[in-house]
Amino acid sequence: MEVEFSKDNFLLPETKYEYLDHTADVQLHGWGSTLKEAFEQCGVAMFGYMTDLSYVTVNNCYEIEAKGDDIEGLLFHFLDELLFLFSAEPYLVCKKLEITKFDLDNFEIVCRCYGEPFELGKHPQGTEVKAITYSAMQVVQDAAKGLYEVFVIIDI
Amino acid sequence: MVVRPYVEELKYLEKINDHCWRIKKGFQPNMNVEGVFYVNSRLEQLMLEELKNSCRPGAVGGFLPGVKQIANVAALPGIVGRSIGLPDIHSGYGFAIGNMAAFDMDDPLSVVSPGGVGFDINCGVRLLRTNLFEKDVQSLKEQLAQSLFDHIPVGVGSKGIIPMNARDLEEALEMGMDWSLREGYVWAEDKEHCEEYGRMLNADPAKVSMRAKKRGLPQLGTLGAGNHYAEIQVVDEIYDKWSASKMGIEEKGQVVVMIHSGSRGFGHQVATDALVEMEKAMKRDKIETNDRQLACARINSPEGQDYLKAMAAAANFAWVNRSSMTFLTRQAFAKMFKTTPDDLDMHVIYDVSHNIAKVENHMVDGKERKLLVHRKGSTRAFPPHHPLIPVDYQLTGQPVLVGGTMGTCSYVLTGTERGMQETFGSTCHGAGRALSRAKSRRNLDYKDVLDKLDQLGIAIRVASPKLVMEEAPESYKDVTDVVDTCHAAGISKKCIKMRPIAVIKG
Repeated sequence: MEVEFSKDNFLLPETKYEYLDHTADVQLHGWGSTLKEAFEQCGVAMFGYMTDLSYVTVNNCYEIEAKGDDIEGLLFHFLDELLFLFSAEPYLVCKKLEITKFDLDNFEIVCRCYGEPFELGKHPQGTEVKAITYSAMQVVQDAAKGLYEVFVIIDI
Repeated sequence: MVVRPYVEELKYLEKINDHCWRIKKGFQPNMNVEGVFYVNSRLEQLMLEELKNSCRPGAVGGFLPGVKQIANVAALPGIVGRSIGLPDIHSGYGFAIGNMAAFDMDDPLSVVSPGGVGFDINCGVRLLRTNLFEKDVQSLKEQLAQSLFDHIPVGVGSKGIIPMNARDLEEALEMGMDWSLREGYVWAEDKEHCEEYGRMLNADPAKVSMRAKKRGLPQLGTLGAGNHYAEIQVVDEIYDKWSASKMGIEEKGQVVVMIHSGSRGFGHQVATDALVEMEKAMKRDKIETNDRQLACARINSPEGQDYLKAMAAAANFAWVNRSSMTFLTRQAFAKMFKTTPDDLDMHVIYDVSHNIAKVENHMVDGKERKLLVHRKGSTRAFPPHHPLIPVDYQLTGQPVLVGGTMGTCSYVLTGTERGMQETFGSTCHGAGRALSRAKSRRNLDYKDVLDKLDQLGIAIRVASPKLVMEEAPESYKDVTDVVDTCHAAGISKKCIKMRPIAVIKG
């Protein structure tokens, strides 16, 4: 669902993700000072694999919801929703994600996704993401150190 | 996963002969049958190295090596014969890629597993012949590559150009290539040369989520990205002149077109949806597997049946997809040579599916049994006289199309009786990755790869620059090793070798 947003004071988050080795696929590694941030970073990492995000301007904002049975399931469905946002109408590439509801009791997420529709010629073509997998998925929560990380293998 | 030192692990593996290894029970827990894998000395090293790397104590992250995955599949309920690894095997999601397994349809506990099919349902290879020769296309190579690239939508975010609405999609999902034929995109004889005649009859679009349909609609008639490609190739070597002539290949230098693509976002979503549903079914039916990724459901459960119907719809999508690109390829050639596809003799030689599950009859312990055969990164290779192969190939055996990688050769093999007995009529599907994508990008240089292709006289059009390194021949196992192993083991027979002169990739 497309929602309104203000371009005043719009800040892009710093990059806290990387791509790790896997024979046929790629592993996304996102981190942050909260689990919410690690989720957001992991989502942006996926879009960064599909195109070069520096060519993306923020013109639209869509809101998505995701639910899961456990924390891994929530991460899986969150990324699956984002992939769907890209794969069909509105074909959105996101440069920034902002999770507005992060409910770890009921495993629910509401997220605002900022970016613009993918356009050939404007956005370089990266690699196509086929699917999200549970393969070697890890959600690391180290509250003492204030470090939260997620690892997800995407099928490409 | 059982953690043992490498030397201990090796005790469970036994080399039967120069190109075949046995995996004994106990290598992984609860194995119902033994495992087997086909490798020659070079591929064997890659295989064992992968296992060795996973045996490091205290390692975090990482993934299961292919050989462990074969053994985990051997532990699934209802499996018969052996869990089989083909020479191009590498670690995959649940099942290894290059893994095949058959399940007894008459055993109520038998399962179907979307991991045994893969995310790209009915990913496959189609080969078109022409009556052109290398000398006819040599000077036009660059223009031809560009023309194909302009005709076929490729890469991330590209959309199909075949007009299609939601109702057309429903019909296409149900009818497969019959839809393409009705709409005038293919020739009637094309269907003859496809597995299942390009249509799985049990397809039910009602079992497919709206989400999958929404992902599929804009992508019909697109090549995709990753390892998918369209290649113009020339015949480099003919090993079996008689079989080749049955396929319309008479001489070295003849030009053919190979298309490697699948069911695009549609199939990916069908697989994702099924995995989610099956997790629940596994809890309900108390199905235990060695690996969470081996999500499965009993064949006769609602989830199992729904998946098979949705998978069939995705298979039909893939055939329509390859057919749409066949149409575009024929158009591109006809325009370039100012003639018709008919006059260029652009017939489909064959179309194989290398990510699929099918109901087939096989002999097990001297009795005919009805089996659900999963082939993931494995190609069906039926022998001569098998009822399911077309009339034209009754005497040669089914053509098996094995795609190489950007810049390396590809092969046509034929099915054998030995393959029917040993591997449920299955053989390899391609080269199989050897290097990770990230490693390829680090170790290889964009310009070097392109220069090398240029030296080999190969025209190339690639939508994504980083794919050039990821898909470079160095990133893969040597397809010739893979094919030679299948030939030596007798599970399929070499017929034709082709080398590329133009490559179009996502």
